[in-house]
Amino acid sequence: MAGMKVGRFPGEPATALPAMKRSMRTWVQEAIAGYLFISPAMFFLIVFLIIPILASVVLVFTDYSLLAPPHWVGLENLTRLLHDKRMFTCYRNSLLITIGATTLNNVIGLLLAMGVNRKMPGVLRYLLRTAFFFPVLTTTASLAVVWRFILTQDRGILNYLLQQIGLSPVPWLSSVRWAIPSVVMYDVWKSCGYLMVLYLAGLQGIPEVLYEAAKIDGAGRLQLTRYITLPLITPTAFFCIVISLIGAFQIFDNAYVLTEGGPGDASRTIAMYIYEMAFKRYEMGYASAVALSLLVILVAMTLLQLWASRKWVHYE
Amino acid sequence: MTSTSMAERKARLEGLSARRVGFYVGEAVVWALLIAMAVIEIAPIMWMFSTSLRNPGESFELPPDFLPTAWRWDNYLAVIRSEKIDFPLFFWNSLKIALIVTASQLLTCSLAAFAFARLRFAGRDTLFFLFLASMMVPAQVTTVPVFIIIRSLHLMDTHWALILPGMTSAFGVFLLRQFFLTLPEDLMDAAKIDGAGFFRIFWRIMLPLVGPGLSALGIFTFLGSWNNFYGPLLFLRSWDKLTFPLALVTLQGYMGMGNRAHVLAGIMMSIFPVLLFFLLAQRFVIRGIALTGLKA
Repeated sequence: MAGMKVGRFPGEPATALPAMKRSMRTWVQEAIAGYLFISPAMFFLIVFLIIPILASVVLVFTDYSLLAPPHWVGLENLTRLLHDKRMFTCYRNSLLITIGATTLNNVIGLLLAMGVNRKMPGVLRYLLRTAFFFPVLTTTASLAVVWRFILTQDRGILNYLLQQIGLSPVPWLSSVRWAIPSVVMYDVWKSCGYLMVLYLAGLQGIPEVLYEAAKIDGAGRLQLTRYITLPLITPTAFFCIVISLIGAFQIFDNAYVLTEGGPGDASRTIAMYIYEMAFKRYEMGYASAVALSLLVILVAMTLLQLWASRKWVHYE
Repeated sequence: MTSTSMAERKARLEGLSARRVGFYVGEAVVWALLIAMAVIEIAPIMWMFSTSLRNPGESFELPPDFLPTAWRWDNYLAVIRSEKIDFPLFFWNSLKIALIVTASQLLTCSLAAFAFARLRFAGRDTLFFLFLASMMVPAQVTTVPVFIIIRSLHLMDTHWALILPGMTSAFGVFLLRQFFLTLPEDLMDAAKIDGAGFFRIFWRIMLPLVGPGLSALGIFTFLGSWNNFYGPLLFLRSWDKLTFPLALVTLQGYMGMGNRAHVLAGIMMSIFPVLLFFLLAQRFVIRGIALTGLKA
């Protein structure tokens, strides 16, 4: 920088030139620094994300089993998609799991956050928050093993407890009817604490003055919830719903360990189906086609929500 | 506080009004539900913990005991010393991968996040949008090509297959950018006037100030890698390369029917490091999660 200093007599008018030169130079330096700083992240993003996405678009038009080089099959994989009954079953399962898990996770997450946000001693708040959040920290696959022990039909813990209150035991994991509810139940147990933390942050962002003002106007507790908390939590809720929908649509570990997709295909999710096509049958081209259909659905779903959010999300 | 006690005194004077009774009933219901949920969330973990310490023959006992009835730590020793399953090795495999992935993400993500938040260069916003958009792409779309890439690099059945794709994350860049944006703009200008180079500004001035962000990202990344099941399932084949979660699920297949206590002891051991991490840095985790939700 020292070289940039241009000597100037006192009183002589300063020309804009040196200053401009200097700012040009820092500007270029800043740009170079910027590209250098992002280059490591950019490199891995390109190699392991962008190239793979483009590659899977190409793979869709090929038949590739890893053993022989891929060969061009045109639109075959795409027409096969339209007639794939198993795929539609898996989409149906994923949709049911997504609806159930997203609704319950968000409703319970919000209620827990409102509960923890109440006036209470700090220790109690800490204990409750830790209890709700703890399952989030555990390994999905390993804890699914524990839940298998809880849900087994014979000598399972949940069925024992049900029988104690006079209900008949339920074949949680081995029946077509209960397999999906079991996967949803496990997912809600595992991840409602995560949403609680997000909603808690949203609740704490609501200015206290609003409540004070409404209380002075004589609003009751239900009215405070209805007219202040719920409208002002909608931006948080929007974010939470978007991420939990995307997450739930990709559920793999839960069902893989809990029910192995069964009985039959009763709880096979679309992620498990893609895994089966790619890594059990080595139909890489067709697996890519199913995967891209999932991407299209997720993007469409998110855009739809963005559009719908204008109707129900209140931005201050 | 004074207002409630005044209100109480007033209520006592006037006798309990119906509204007052309603208030207490509501309060009781809310607390009952909160405590019930806490019990539901913790009971499976308590059952796992206490069963892992029981005589293996008693792990099928009903009614289930949620509190420890015995302290058979030798179940843990039996798992660690098991001849069939080399637990210390799986533990080390998982730990090694998680630490390398975490360290490299902290570096690559903070560098990029700083540039996206505080440096001006052509195409910055477009590139950042690319990062954001890539967060939406489901793992299923990329796994097939990534599998092919890993295979053609002859990295199948090595830990590099898990480390390389985890070297950076769009989420990490996004999270840290949020932290960098909260720092005052003047700080950067002052450092520039003092003639500090950009790397120096980043390393000596900005990075120390986003410590909480780094902790949050570090914990998320460590957790994500430690808990990763799909990656190892795809890439690892040989027994001595397996990571903890995959080994646990396999272990359940081996001895799940015979010895629950040992399986549960194994799972408990997989939770210990995570629990330790969390207790040390709960604040950062919670704040980090919260920050992803704000201004999103």
